[in-house]
Amino acid sequence: MKRLASLLICSAAAWSQGALDPAASEWKSAAPITLALNRTPPLYSTDAPATMDIPSVQVQILHSSAGNFARLEWADKTHDTAVLPKAERTWQDDHLVTQSEATNRFSDACALMIPAKPNAGDLNPSLQMGDADHPVRIFVWDATRGAAVMEASGRETTKRTGQSFPAQAQYAAGRWSVALEISDLKAGTPFAVAIWNGSQQDRDGRKYFTVWYRAQ
Amino acid sequence: MAQHQISMVLDLNKCLGCQTCTMACKKLWTDGDGMDYMYWNNVETRPGQGYPRNWDKIGGGFEDGKLRPSELPTKEDYGQTFEYNYAERLFQGGLQAMPQEETRNTPNWDEDVGALMLGENYYFYLPRLCNHCTNPACLEACPRKAIYKREEDGIVLVDQERCEGYRYCMKACPYKKIYFNELLGKAQKCIFCYPRIEKGEVNACAKQCPGRLRFVGFLDDPESAVHKLVYLYKVALGLFPERGTEPNVFYMPPFNPPRTGSYGKSVLEDPRMPMDYLKYLFGDEVVPVIQRLEAELHRAQNGGTSEVLQLLIGRDDHVRYKISKPEDLVQIQGAHRG
Repeated sequence: MKRLASLLICSAAAWSQGALDPAASEWKSAAPITLALNRTPPLYSTDAPATMDIPSVQVQILHSSAGNFARLEWADKTHDTAVLPKAERTWQDDHLVTQSEATNRFSDACALMIPAKPNAGDLNPSLQMGDADHPVRIFVWDATRGAAVMEASGRETTKRTGQSFPAQAQYAAGRWSVALEISDLKAGTPFAVAIWNGSQQDRDGRKYFTVWYRAQ
Repeated sequence: MAQHQISMVLDLNKCLGCQTCTMACKKLWTDGDGMDYMYWNNVETRPGQGYPRNWDKIGGGFEDGKLRPSELPTKEDYGQTFEYNYAERLFQGGLQAMPQEETRNTPNWDEDVGALMLGENYYFYLPRLCNHCTNPACLEACPRKAIYKREEDGIVLVDQERCEGYRYCMKACPYKKIYFNELLGKAQKCIFCYPRIEKGEVNACAKQCPGRLRFVGFLDDPESAVHKLVYLYKVALGLFPERGTEPNVFYMPPFNPPRTGSYGKSVLEDPRMPMDYLKYLFGDEVVPVIQRLEAELHRAQNGGTSEVLQLLIGRDDHVRYKISKPEDLVQIQGAHRG
């Protein structure tokens, strides 16, 4: 369990349609807060050292009658995304097999983690995907595969729920901006953010992450 | 560690390089979307670049007990897949049957090229599949525990629900026998035809092999051919034993037929191919193994009988294959101890 590192307060501006457009003018009414990113240690001694070229992420959180939204923006010089044809899981007769175009590319991605259960006091779940008594829900957006909700109760336990959630992304001038609609991200909910840079093979625990903050 | 271990022994002296095993596997298991480039079973010419290209040189496995992951092979390393221009060539008067784009590598790109020794060309075929290792580097590398080794037969599988496509397993495998299905975002590999094994039926690659060079059974079944070849006669070896994964697919090293004009000389005096190359693939133990095989050959040539060679001829299925039920193995072992 970790104590809150700090409190983050975003303006709760009145919100209208178009909440999911990260370029919408309404987002300009909410002042972004810059959160410092940390880097996980390498898994293997033979891993190439990761760069700290994404030192921070800008976060905005808005609560309105239309829902609860987060907007993440960060600088990433490499635009790592792919358009994949849809795979058929079934074996088909006379079907020209759709090819895997590459075996070694990884996508840019981001995620927002919140406690799965309302917290007691100011104690938060472990940053390493929660723990047995304090499960978490993780809202992952991947530049190639889109949005997915995961659950976890500790390291190595992340599991897809099969659910998705509304998300929209834009990449322009070397920056990603991603808007996420997360109904459980109510005022006062603790959250942590993770960012992955595909071109340095970030995935899994190879990532940038923030400590816990609180959305108010 | 698994309670029982299913295994395959391949006699490289009998392999024709016909790729029937490759096609049997391809049609049965890797005919789906995103699997175009995957050959869970492949046959490569040795010496040669292999599939994926340079898999034997890039790394993987363990060193001093620690994982030594390699770089990920690229799609180009696996080789391009392409369709021939049949319509253009046959019906439109075109001259180009090969696809227009220049093809630089395919899964069997350097077939039969081999190398030269003392002015003579030599090569042999190396059929490869997942080794279902006793100490699998892929399993060790997976941070999601999506890879597991079955207690009842030691088959190593990737749980397609848990797998998130991180590809640590691909980097860790010293044999590069795990593939990435980009369309599904999952790692996929040879499943040792477990649905067939569970019914007592042998793997598709073995079943279809015209050279009858594959032996299948439980290593801990004293009645199986694989047990006898590996433990009793000690004539079969795993690939790259120094990589520390303890592979459970074994090979009879190639040493036959003798070189032209070398009649009367021993295989070590006048080897068909450089012994250093065989040591590179199978370790130093390859020398005594070849000596044992040669001694058996001489015994048969001089009118004696050789149990090893009789077994290796393996004319009938029941000689080559014995797929016991895992629950019967303890009883079989007990009977042999008695």
